[in-house]
Amino acid sequence: MKRLKIISFVVFLMIAAVIIIGRSIKATYEKTSIDENDKSLNSEHDSILLHVNILDVNNIIDKNARFKNTAKYFSNRAYEGAPPTVPHEVEGTQIGGKACLKCHETGGYVDKFKANAPIVPHPNFENCIQCHVPVNTKNEFKDSNWELVTNKSSSEITNQALLTSPPVIPHTITKTDDCLSCHSGLGIKKVRVTHPERTNCRQCHVPKYTQKDEQDEFIRKPLVNN
Amino acid sequence: MFTQNLNRRVFVKKMATSAAVVSAVSLFPGIVFAEEQQVNLTEDNLNWKKAPCRFCGVGCGLLIGISNGKAVAVKGDPRSSVNKGLACVKGYHSVMALYGKDRLKKPLVKKNGVFVETSMKEALDLVASKMSETIKNHGKDAVSIYGSGQWAIPDGYIASKLFKGCIGTNNIEANARLCMASAVTGFMTSFGMDEPMGCYEDIDYANVFVLWGNNMAEMHPVLFSRMLDQRQKRGIKIIDFATRTTRTSNAADKSILFKPQTDLAVANAICYEIIKNNWVNKNFVETNCKFQKGKTNIGHGLTDDFKFKDEPEQIDFDAFKVFLEDYIPEKVEKYSGVAARDIKYMAALYGDPNKKVVSFWCMGPNQHTRGTWMNNLIYNIHLLTGKISSPGNSPFSLTGQPSACGTAREVGTFTHKLPKGLVANEKDRAFAAKIWGVPVENIPDKPTHHTMSMFRALDRGEIKFMWIQVTNPMVTIPNLNRYRKGAEKEGRFIVVSDVYPTPTTDVADVILPSAMWIEKTGLFGNSERRTQFWEQMLTPPGEAMDDGKQLLEVAERLGYGKYFQYSKENYAEEVYNEYTQFHAGKKHGMAPLEVLKKEAGMIWPFVDGKPTKWRFNSKYDPACEKEGFHFYGNEDGKAVIWQRPYEAPAESPDSEYPFWLNTGRVVEHWHTGSMTRRISVLHKAVPNSYVELNPEEAKELGIKNRDRVRITSRRGTIVMLASVNERGVPPRGQVFVPFFDEHFLINELTLDSYCPISNEPDYKKCAVKIEKV
Repeated sequence: MKRLKIISFVVFLMIAAVIIIGRSIKATYEKTSIDENDKSLNSEHDSILLHVNILDVNNIIDKNARFKNTAKYFSNRAYEGAPPTVPHEVEGTQIGGKACLKCHETGGYVDKFKANAPIVPHPNFENCIQCHVPVNTKNEFKDSNWELVTNKSSSEITNQALLTSPPVIPHTITKTDDCLSCHSGLGIKKVRVTHPERTNCRQCHVPKYTQKDEQDEFIRKPLVNN
Repeated sequence: MFTQNLNRRVFVKKMATSAAVVSAVSLFPGIVFAEEQQVNLTEDNLNWKKAPCRFCGVGCGLLIGISNGKAVAVKGDPRSSVNKGLACVKGYHSVMALYGKDRLKKPLVKKNGVFVETSMKEALDLVASKMSETIKNHGKDAVSIYGSGQWAIPDGYIASKLFKGCIGTNNIEANARLCMASAVTGFMTSFGMDEPMGCYEDIDYANVFVLWGNNMAEMHPVLFSRMLDQRQKRGIKIIDFATRTTRTSNAADKSILFKPQTDLAVANAICYEIIKNNWVNKNFVETNCKFQKGKTNIGHGLTDDFKFKDEPEQIDFDAFKVFLEDYIPEKVEKYSGVAARDIKYMAALYGDPNKKVVSFWCMGPNQHTRGTWMNNLIYNIHLLTGKISSPGNSPFSLTGQPSACGTAREVGTFTHKLPKGLVANEKDRAFAAKIWGVPVENIPDKPTHHTMSMFRALDRGEIKFMWIQVTNPMVTIPNLNRYRKGAEKEGRFIVVSDVYPTPTTDVADVILPSAMWIEKTGLFGNSERRTQFWEQMLTPPGEAMDDGKQLLEVAERLGYGKYFQYSKENYAEEVYNEYTQFHAGKKHGMAPLEVLKKEAGMIWPFVDGKPTKWRFNSKYDPACEKEGFHFYGNEDGKAVIWQRPYEAPAESPDSEYPFWLNTGRVVEHWHTGSMTRRISVLHKAVPNSYVELNPEEAKELGIKNRDRVRITSRRGTIVMLASVNERGVPPRGQVFVPFFDEHFLINELTLDSYCPISNEPDYKKCAVKIEKV
């Protein structure tokens, strides 16, 4: 009886572990965008290991739990992947650089603005104002028919070969991306990873698509010609 | 890199945190999986297609995300060697410019002072009949076309062939005259051949960058970021040499301010120092250079009958040395405001044999009453030190429009030009007539009007018909009041092809809606001689039609159809194939379409399947006919070092008008803002133009930031908001106004003086007064 109890407890633990791990992995492959046709991946170098201080992110969350959601994500972007506008005042005489990085290099709560500063995914770019501009009016010059089109799908997507294998990356990666700026604590909560401390993302997570047109498909010659 | 050591305690803590997060997820899935607001959900995948950016002359490669027949996203093309995956805020939001609600979709014809919608067929019929009527009654030179450096290559080519080859008038100009003409005459007088010898790759090799009046952080941000990137990696130096303090000055390693127009003197002083300190690369100069001087006191082109022709004269090195005696740094310091030690510092950077130097410039030296001279002087510095035509050593003239080089300069949409050579040369006319298939007598041998002269002729009534495509002169022409009145006079017929209503469409008699950028197939050519192709990705709205097609339709109606036997669907590619015959050969051969379709652009000369990255250097350029350097643009293979003195501008501040007025751009807006202002993000960042004042002077005048200020010149007056200590800070005695805003037409105040050699106006210098309202 005692043995049975222990066995059933262990079984319960195993089932619980499977559920927990399964759910946590599921949490990481919630889709934000899929791009089958993109052939333009940059080197590994640009999108990993940019943030040495990323580990502090978990502490930041504990103190000021204000997660970002997708609506917030799109509140200052014209489309998915567009450079966000700056929601606070900026000094115009500088290109940004250190002044911006002071808060945005590591992200976290900024008393001055009473808000969490998002982590910049590309702290190596200094000319911030090249892409990020402030909002100085609510009015439009002329109305526009521009529509925000997201490729977000709520349906399940298979970006895992096996239940427990690491999900592949379902979206495009651009020059300016750093996985952790979205997938860690201050990013969109849907896509937060459970293990931000590992940082070498592409060790396990590979892009879904291949660069097919770059090269002819490799076909091994038959050993024997008939 | 990842340097933090995880000790065991921290590791356990992390594990605990992770476990807690995981448990929270499993217990309260809602926390993480709450339904987010979903916006315009679409199941379609994005299709990414490549195109060069629509805006500036840097020519970034973009990938446009197309979904359900609409452009929905943009990213930088990582395969483009121009921008390597990065873009700027204009590029990232460029596709939004296609979707403004007031996009022109139907042709409009002015009847009794009001615009009436009509069909494209009727509008084109009217344009053609007005043209032939004008030609019949007033002669060929009464019709004209004014295009731009935003014409795609096929558009500009068709315009040139129609006007020069078929109708038989040289009345074709482009707004590139207002921005690049001095760069062209600079190249032509120094090297006998247009366009930079180097390429953007120079950024990866240079040790020092000198920016001549060029606010690159805002105007060429992607190239500026490439420089900053090199600074992080290799510790290069950026010197900002300018008339006001900008974001570029603040980011540079050193900012040196000079008084307007004195760049001429400082450049000569740098040459003086280089010679004095024996930094001249004697071997290079002896084998590859010659010395010349031209006329002096050459005037400013302010009157309608102004004419000028330079008369070059050979001089020798000693004469040049004597001439430079007037420009000892201590003397120049007095009127340039540049400390002699700063001049010596710049000279030392150029002179150091172990440093590779790139000079960048754009509108500062170009929009200058001595623009050609200023371009010559920068080349002088690079030629004396031999720092040219090799990786990292590059005098680099940047452009402002996406195809200022590709269309305006290479196709030659100027009154004096043909796609190859000049209308004045019989051989060039014969060559053009052969490729165009037109009788050689069709092409007139005398240039008619450059841009300023063309608008003056319109005002006087010698030109009765003007067709304006892809540009907005009723915002950009200096001394605008005169030329707007001219365009509105009785008996003038103005056709405007554009994508949005602008102050220029206001003066039109016929407005033709144009297809824009990725709504047609086209090619642009950027500052580094890179030709880029894009294919049509979207259907133009309503009856909007390519500028090139509009011209083809009118050509057909005028009876020139037999010279334009292109297919309707594929005319752009067929035109390009015809056009490249002009440039065939090692000196300007252009990449074929199949290469351009595959690659993110290709640099010409494209020889034996390879781009020529550095011209005039036998190591890299197969067109060189001798070892070492060969400046084959000039017959003797030598580049010219020009003796060009300092001369005062047409108008300087005085007691009545005590301030210099400088005009320019901001990073958010491009050209006259007709596209960028319809992009919400950009308009909201800079909703209106403003006048930048020096903070001390503002205080003295009792003007605070955002106060209303009246700014007046001898030609006009406007009231606008003051900007104090914001983006740029002019020194005492200067103000700055961005020109993009059609509500504050600063060009009503600017002066229509121009460089007598290039005929390019000076938008950077005139005198104004400032009052608080």
